[in-house]
Amino acid sequence: MVNKLKQIIAYFDNLSFKYKTSFLVFIIAGGMICIVILSQVSTFTIKQDFDVLFDKRTKSLIKLEHIKDTYNVNIQDTLKDLETEEITLEQASDVLLLAQQLINKNWSSYKVESSDERSRFYIISLIKKFFINEETFHENKILKQNIIKNIDKKMYKIKNYLNYMIKNKIDYDYANLNLEINAISIYITSLINYDLSLAINEKRNTQKIFNIIMFFSIISIVLVFLFSIVLSVYIINNFKKLHNSLEQKVEEKTKELTELNAYLEIKISKEVSQNRKKDIIMFQQARLASLGEMLNNIAHQWRQPLGSITMIVQSFQTKMLMGKLTDQFVDEKVHDALLLADNMSTTLDDFKNFFSPDKAKSKFQIRNCLEHSIELSKYLLEKENIIVKLEIKEDIELNTYYNELSHVFLNIISNSKDALCSTSPKDDRIIKIIVNKYKDKAVVNMLDNGGGIKEDIIPKIFEPYYTTKYKSAGTGIGLYMSKQIIEKHMEGAISYKNIVHKIKEDDTNYKCSLFTIKIPIYKKEAVNAK
Amino acid sequence: MQNKDLNILQQFNILYLEDDENLLKHTKDVLEDFVNNIYAVKTSKDALDVLLNKKVDIIISDILLENENGIDFLKHIKEKNINIPTILTTAHTDTKYLLDAIKLKVENYIVKPINIKELLNTLHDVLLPIVQQKEIQKNTNVIKTISAITDSKQVDIVKFIINNLDNENQFTASYSDIMDEVSISKPTLIKLFKELAEKNILIKVQHKTYRFNETALDNL
Repeated sequence: MVNKLKQIIAYFDNLSFKYKTSFLVFIIAGGMICIVILSQVSTFTIKQDFDVLFDKRTKSLIKLEHIKDTYNVNIQDTLKDLETEEITLEQASDVLLLAQQLINKNWSSYKVESSDERSRFYIISLIKKFFINEETFHENKILKQNIIKNIDKKMYKIKNYLNYMIKNKIDYDYANLNLEINAISIYITSLINYDLSLAINEKRNTQKIFNIIMFFSIISIVLVFLFSIVLSVYIINNFKKLHNSLEQKVEEKTKELTELNAYLEIKISKEVSQNRKKDIIMFQQARLASLGEMLNNIAHQWRQPLGSITMIVQSFQTKMLMGKLTDQFVDEKVHDALLLADNMSTTLDDFKNFFSPDKAKSKFQIRNCLEHSIELSKYLLEKENIIVKLEIKEDIELNTYYNELSHVFLNIISNSKDALCSTSPKDDRIIKIIVNKYKDKAVVNMLDNGGGIKEDIIPKIFEPYYTTKYKSAGTGIGLYMSKQIIEKHMEGAISYKNIVHKIKEDDTNYKCSLFTIKIPIYKKEAVNAK
Repeated sequence: MQNKDLNILQQFNILYLEDDENLLKHTKDVLEDFVNNIYAVKTSKDALDVLLNKKVDIIISDILLENENGIDFLKHIKEKNINIPTILTTAHTDTKYLLDAIKLKVENYIVKPINIKELLNTLHDVLLPIVQQKEIQKNTNVIKTISAITDSKQVDIVKFIINNLDNENQFTASYSDIMDEVSISKPTLIKLFKELAEKNILIKVQHKTYRFNETALDNL
């Protein structure tokens, strides 16, 4: 039994939350309905019983009382008055007839009423049938019949006496009549008593039904209450469990998230530092690349004077051998050699300035920077037969990093050079640089008639390590570096597009590439420039 | 410089093509002491002008000229059937032109900065065959002239002997063999052999075998 209960509890415990709740709702609703029905039933029963008690018992009792009263008061009193001869026989017979009529009427209605078995409510009869042993010991139908028979007999006797008396207009045996009336009174009283006891009995039954209904309703209330409480406890437990598990889950997730966060932070910082390292390496690579290019330039610019100086040095030896070494010759050659050496020194200075890292911003004319950049790449440009046209519509004073800007110009010139070398014929290679001012920005347009860049790779040209050049020819970071310098260091913008442009003064249209560099001019500087 | 007779350069004219004015001037200053004439020019146009109007024995040309290229210039003159030995000078980095240079049968290739000894030696090496050619031509002319004024038969015999020398400078033939080749009387032949033997030019090693003694010629 206990095991089964436990099983049920366990089963219930395992039910899902949804079922538990609906179960609770069902139980509460069912209980409510039970209570309501029971209360209704009890109310109706009580009312019914009350009605029955009143109608059936009280009314009939009243009738019996009436009969009794009529006998006692009307008939006996009239007879007494007649005996004492206060009234005439005539008067008395009227009263007596009237009384007899009243008695007959009441008596017949009483009989009808008492024999009339009222139909009861089905439920009440059901309850009565099953739950109550109706106390019927008081109800003795034979006794009642007997009493009624006796009363009938006595009534008939009295009636006969009275009728005889009235007909014969004689004084009959009053004492005997009184005795009969008293006897009938006693019979009626016993009938009343009997009826009363029945009424009491019925009242008791009603009381019992009421008690049973009350008992059931209290039990159902208690049951509903109990079930509700138990279920509520279960549901609350469920809630608690759910809450706890949720809390645990949240805690776990929070922990996981915190760990992930920490891991991510570490990873991000790692990535950032790696990125920074990468950037530094790229900057170094770019610097080395341009350094290499510059070295190439220096090498070439040095080669010629070096060749001349070598020749001069050797000329002394040969002249000596030939015996033609004159003072004049020595003076002349030494002068030339010194000039050449001086030239070489100047070249070195130029490049040295270019490589000296300038951390601080400086004020300079954009024309100077451009001219210097062109000068530095002159060797390569001349070698590849490239003409550079510099068109300065408005010279602008900038306050920014001279060398970095120069690097950018050199990069783009170098790109244009590579493009021109691979696409254009030798006598038709032009780089055009136009400087203009737009609002508060210096705009440098750098064009070349190298045919432009293929549309599908334009979006990639500013990406690091992207190169179309064969292996060692390009590192793929020149334009990336340029973008970094212009956007990050100078807060400017660099963009590229293919255009069709009459780059020469004639009417020929060329497919051109166009790099546009925009560098903000600060207002203070702008004012100063004016 | 000492072990080569650079004096042979004295008779030649050089065309020097170089776009660097300084180098052109200084190299010209050095070279003009060694050669007959040096035409120092800066452009291929001037060079062509010189080639058409002057006698030029050798061309020294830079490969990278201003707006042009020494190789192209050489191709151009080869097309015009002007075959003059050429020395190219170039900066170290321009070895890519080497293949073209070889195809054009350029005599030599000098890397800048120019070492004057190397240049002079190269000039010597290139020009020596020309000098030798001239020498041979001269000697041939001498022999021809001599044979014209003396007994041509004897000259024929000497030619026959020298032409038939083996690796060891030895000559094997009987008088009759010689007489079959050259129409000469036996007494004249015997007299000639005797004369050569006396002067130690022909030494009889064994029967019918003689050794031609070159050293004896120097002692004459």
